[in-house]
Amino acid sequence: MAKAKVTFSDVNVTVNVPVGTRIIELSEAVGSYIAYNCREGDCGVCLFEVIKGQENMSPVSKEEASVILTRFQEIMDGWRATKNLNDLQAKMQRENFIGKNCRLACQTQVFGDVVVAPL
Amino acid sequence: MTQPVWLSERVQWIGALDPTMRSFDIVLKTPNGTTYNAYAVRGSEGVAVIDTVKEECAEQFFTRLEVVARYDEIKVIVLNHLEPDHTGALPELMRRAPQAKLYISKSAQLMLKALLNQQDIDYTPVGTGDTVSLGDRTLRFLHTPYLHWPDTQCTYLEEECMLFSGDVFGCHFCDERLFNDKVGDFRFAFEYYYAHIMRPFREHVLNALSVLEPLRMNIIAPTHGPILRDQPKRYMQRYRELSGQRLQSEVNADEKTLVIFYISAYGSTTQMAQMIRAGAEQVAGVRASLYDMEGGDADLFVDLVEDADGILIGSPTINGDAVKPAWDLVSSFAKINVRGKLAGAFGSYGWSGEAVRMLEDRLRGLKMRLPQSGVRIKLIPSPEELEECRRYGQEAGEHLMGVNAPRVLDMADLLASRQAQV
Repeated sequence: MAKAKVTFSDVNVTVNVPVGTRIIELSEAVGSYIAYNCREGDCGVCLFEVIKGQENMSPVSKEEASVILTRFQEIMDGWRATKNLNDLQAKMQRENFIGKNCRLACQTQVFGDVVVAPL
Repeated sequence: MTQPVWLSERVQWIGALDPTMRSFDIVLKTPNGTTYNAYAVRGSEGVAVIDTVKEECAEQFFTRLEVVARYDEIKVIVLNHLEPDHTGALPELMRRAPQAKLYISKSAQLMLKALLNQQDIDYTPVGTGDTVSLGDRTLRFLHTPYLHWPDTQCTYLEEECMLFSGDVFGCHFCDERLFNDKVGDFRFAFEYYYAHIMRPFREHVLNALSVLEPLRMNIIAPTHGPILRDQPKRYMQRYRELSGQRLQSEVNADEKTLVIFYISAYGSTTQMAQMIRAGAEQVAGVRASLYDMEGGDADLFVDLVEDADGILIGSPTINGDAVKPAWDLVSSFAKINVRGKLAGAFGSYGWSGEAVRMLEDRLRGLKMRLPQSGVRIKLIPSPEELEECRRYGQEAGEHLMGVNAPRVLDMADLLASRQAQV
């Protein structure tokens, strides 16, 4: 079976996995701090950052993109008083964060080597 | 007393007194009851009702409201917070004043539908900067989420410098004299309310304070307890103090703190805790400390946990479970924000040893970060097992400092090792 490497940079662990594995199947077992609530793509809590290998992940669905966007708005509302809000918004727009550098761990399957981290 | 109470020429209290309530939302003690504060604001072009009351107290609310205004004068209904103790009278109010427009925060929209179980409610979602005019009076909305629900907002009556703050700056204290300069000593109730309702959202409290502090403030009118008209800003300052650091921490910015709690029947879990601490201290930048849960209680420890970067809990297994002081400690975490902190569990056991995995599951459920699998040792630790504890502590320290060595493993081994632990 084809293999892929998934690296969780926050705990410095790399796992060799069969292609098609979802991030959620690994992250808890390796102790990476990606948090979960619903585990089915509804709540957006398991947002993580793609550091490398976005081209090796399953494409983002419309539903996932919309959950990510909602979740970001919540996070930003919480950060409204911080000084870095403008930077964060600019970064999101510049880097097309939603669905590209930023995915849901319960939805994303890997098909090649990737490096990920909690957001 | 069924009359409304004047806050100013245009603003009246139309809430309800509930002096016999003794526990609120299951979790809070209310030794002298509470009030559900609702307010009516009269402008030259209509009346606004700000928040309502618990359904059981609706009669008091409507009696007072009817003294203040006719239902057809009500142009605006504002809900600062959708919890049922403030929205219980809403369906009836909307039935009696069908022309009134409902204003809620943007994050309250889904909740409103779930709460009223009506799909076709007409409302206007508002956020910071949005206003609604009553002619010569203006309501301005301020988005202050997570105090203590995602939906919470405050409403500021601009011309009178009056803040309708929802649950923020509130407390469970029932005194028909209503104003902070008239009622009995309610300071304990104010602090208790902060500690149990607002403290878990400390970061959001700080965000909200930075939005509210710049406002001129004549009166703070919360949804529970006394109306704060005498030196209202003092109560804001108190929130600032309560949500800030207690003593200046002696820990440097480049250091991390690890707090190790343990409890032990015959000293085995104590030995483990000591070795874990020794291991953690080997990592530069880690400040580890040990606490025996037998010598303190959860209420004392929770302050330590709030400031710590990592928390390890050692419990023996007795009758197939972790011991009560360990669970008491973990259940006190609900009062603070522990999300993302490093956590772990360890312990000695006689024959079954469930405690460690049970604690780990609970810590994971609190969205803490558990990069390691905790050490379980049967009965008295051998020298090799103590070395395992030292290594566990060292790895915990390395995770805290972000200096742990890279590891590569196969998915099958990873999942098998997880299975073996259970």
